[in-house]
Amino acid sequence: MTIVTGKAEARRRLQSGRSGALRQIWEHRADYAYVLPAIAVMLVVIAYPIYYTIELSFFKTPPGLQLRDKTFVGFDNYTTILTSEVFWRVTWNTLIWTLGSTLIAFVLGFATALALHREFVGRGVLRAILIIPWVISAVAASYIWKWIYHSDFGIIGAVLVGLGLADRPPNFIDSVSTVLPSLIVVNIWREFPFAMIMMMAGLQTVPEQLLRAAQVDGASAWQRFWHVTFPHLRNVSTVTILLLAVANFNSFIIPWIMTGGGPSNASHIWITHIYELAFGRQRWGVASAYSVLLFLTLMTLGYFYVRALSGNERQEGSA
Amino acid sequence: MTRIMLGSAVLRGTVATALMASLMSTSALGAPVDLSKWSPEYVLSIAGTQDFDTAADCAKVTPLDYKGRLTFWYQGVFEGDPDLLRQYYKDFFETFRKTYPNIQLEEQALTYNDLLDKFRTALLGNAAPMAVRLQILGGTEFASKGYLEPLKPEDVGYSTEDFWPGAMKAVTWEGVTYGIPTNNETMAFIWNADIFKRAGLDPDKAPATWDDVVKYSKQIHDKLGIAGYGLVARKNAGNTPYRFMPQLWAYGGGVFDEATANPTYEEVRLDSPQSKAALQASYDMYVRDKSVPVSALTNQQADNQPLFLAGQLGMMISHPSDYDVMLDLQKKATGADKDKAQTVIDNMRYGLIPTGPDGKRAVVFGGSNIHILKPEYVDGGKVDEPAAKAIICMWTSPEWSLKMAYAGSNPGNLNGFKTKWMKERLDNIKFLDVTTSMLPYGIPFPALPQAPEIMNIIVPDMLQNALTGAMTVDEAADDAAKRVRDLMGGL
Repeated sequence: MTIVTGKAEARRRLQSGRSGALRQIWEHRADYAYVLPAIAVMLVVIAYPIYYTIELSFFKTPPGLQLRDKTFVGFDNYTTILTSEVFWRVTWNTLIWTLGSTLIAFVLGFATALALHREFVGRGVLRAILIIPWVISAVAASYIWKWIYHSDFGIIGAVLVGLGLADRPPNFIDSVSTVLPSLIVVNIWREFPFAMIMMMAGLQTVPEQLLRAAQVDGASAWQRFWHVTFPHLRNVSTVTILLLAVANFNSFIIPWIMTGGGPSNASHIWITHIYELAFGRQRWGVASAYSVLLFLTLMTLGYFYVRALSGNERQEGSA
Repeated sequence: MTRIMLGSAVLRGTVATALMASLMSTSALGAPVDLSKWSPEYVLSIAGTQDFDTAADCAKVTPLDYKGRLTFWYQGVFEGDPDLLRQYYKDFFETFRKTYPNIQLEEQALTYNDLLDKFRTALLGNAAPMAVRLQILGGTEFASKGYLEPLKPEDVGYSTEDFWPGAMKAVTWEGVTYGIPTNNETMAFIWNADIFKRAGLDPDKAPATWDDVVKYSKQIHDKLGIAGYGLVARKNAGNTPYRFMPQLWAYGGGVFDEATANPTYEEVRLDSPQSKAALQASYDMYVRDKSVPVSALTNQQADNQPLFLAGQLGMMISHPSDYDVMLDLQKKATGADKDKAQTVIDNMRYGLIPTGPDGKRAVVFGGSNIHILKPEYVDGGKVDEPAAKAIICMWTSPEWSLKMAYAGSNPGNLNGFKTKWMKERLDNIKFLDVTTSMLPYGIPFPALPQAPEIMNIIVPDMLQNALTGAMTVDEAADDAAKRVRDLMGGL
């Protein structure tokens, strides 16, 4: 009897919920009408490509045939990728690239934000100068850095040789061992201003009176930072790190323009490898499967990003 | 100096004529331009002997008052091209619009390295242009997949015999012709006589063999501390196969049997001892002797040109346009750099590309083709065929196929060699006779749909794997051969 009552109650709630939701939609029909074009565009330019990529990932697309001549192969493309030696090498590169770029850019941006948080003469000018790498076009920056690093006539090599610190210019981007760290340096140079701006905004939210109270209580500078400043910045730090990680995972321009993933695949990361497989080698099926893996990875990062944002909102709500 | 090179070329006439067989079909012997007589002297003798009325010729294909619309993509000029070429491209489109005022032309220029990617993507979305001018490598790929309409020179008022047989092979798939060559060229070898002299080498003598190139490169580097040979090994850049394949073929190697008279493309030869010897020569220069630019793995030819002009590079395989490019760069230089550049230009020498150990000389038979797309792959689903034929007729005419190749190539239509502009070119463009005398040694890339991937990715990967030490020379060649076999097997 109790069970029957429980089921009936649940059905009633469900029906009431449905009618409530429909009623709400009806009441807000004008709002929905306003966002409908945006939703329609998103379905066309985002949802359909995602669906088609997933579909294509189950087909073999031989390079000598048209795409319409594809054949269904189930999970073969995923197996091909996961058993490929190059894939694991490129995955390792991607992890080094993403973690290295994200963490160092964050630490550097945070340190710069802390330094610029204090009042000093020329702070505004310095802040403007430090933002330049972030606003420069990534394409232009890549070409400039390619010449800075040039293994024969780069300015770094010329300075080192000129100062007698090296016999010949160092090999930055034509060596399998140095190419990835060299590209990471460029990426950090471009991204740390973003972390700096985010953390500077975060620093504005740290209550001054708390810092003063801690100082009165005898807390050292480090203790004030660790126990007062940093806890206030935890959420903005998480969001910054996640945004940087997503951007880096998906970062195409710098590695593609500077090295094209070379030499010998040493600077290929997932996204450049996918591009080469699709557009250079026309393995649309394999490239699509690869893209699905990238999509899932980014969605995972996105989930944590949304959770971090929700945490922020809850914290602000409770405060 | 040029005369010495020419004499040398003439003396090698017998070899050249024999190799011509690989480029000629029997019907070509009866062609207006007699390819069997090809030599710098013959080219000189026919230049300026015939006038052509392009508008009148093309009016027979598409009436000049024809009203229509044409979308057209073409491989256009890029950063490494001379200014002269830019001007001729501009002139062509202006003239076309004047000649066919009622055709609404929507043209789009793309660089060599971008065109294939963009065109492939557009085809997937049925958003291709009605007509396209592609690099020679692309013709068979798109013809084999069924994207192109059959199109032969006769369709626009010319004769198949008016074009290089080797170039026609590149637009033919399973016996059907799908395009018309617009221009064809072969490269030559360029060196700085002053650098040769200072390095203790004969300033007026090009390295005779590729083994000599390795030796000369080392000698230049050891004595002067600059790069000897301009090696190029960047991936996804057309420059790399154009510079490595002549070396590969000269040593007797190949991807397949493309260097033979009647290639079948059935046997993969990248892992043959001859192919490995060619790769070893590059390895010796890059790794063992360190006598070539370290930046070779990320460089393309456009990066080597300023190095050569700055007197920092002793020798390289040179595109016919390089002399004009050097002049352009020199004009843009300032102060002491200008004089330095002039000194290099004065010391520029052109010669034939070196041979392999057995005397085999080879060069890539390069160029471009023009095609018409099938309507179902075109944006809007319609192709204005008369409009497409009008532009194709004009571009492949003796006049414009010469003018559009004025500084950087040669006319695809052999009758272009008879025009007054060819005579003008021979008078104005230094070393043109040397680069044209390489034409008989030209070997087309394999006429296979897989050729772009082989040439733009697998061959450069092989070079990079060996030169970075990621693999030994043997392993790199074996790996590349396996990849070609897999590719041909449909993997």
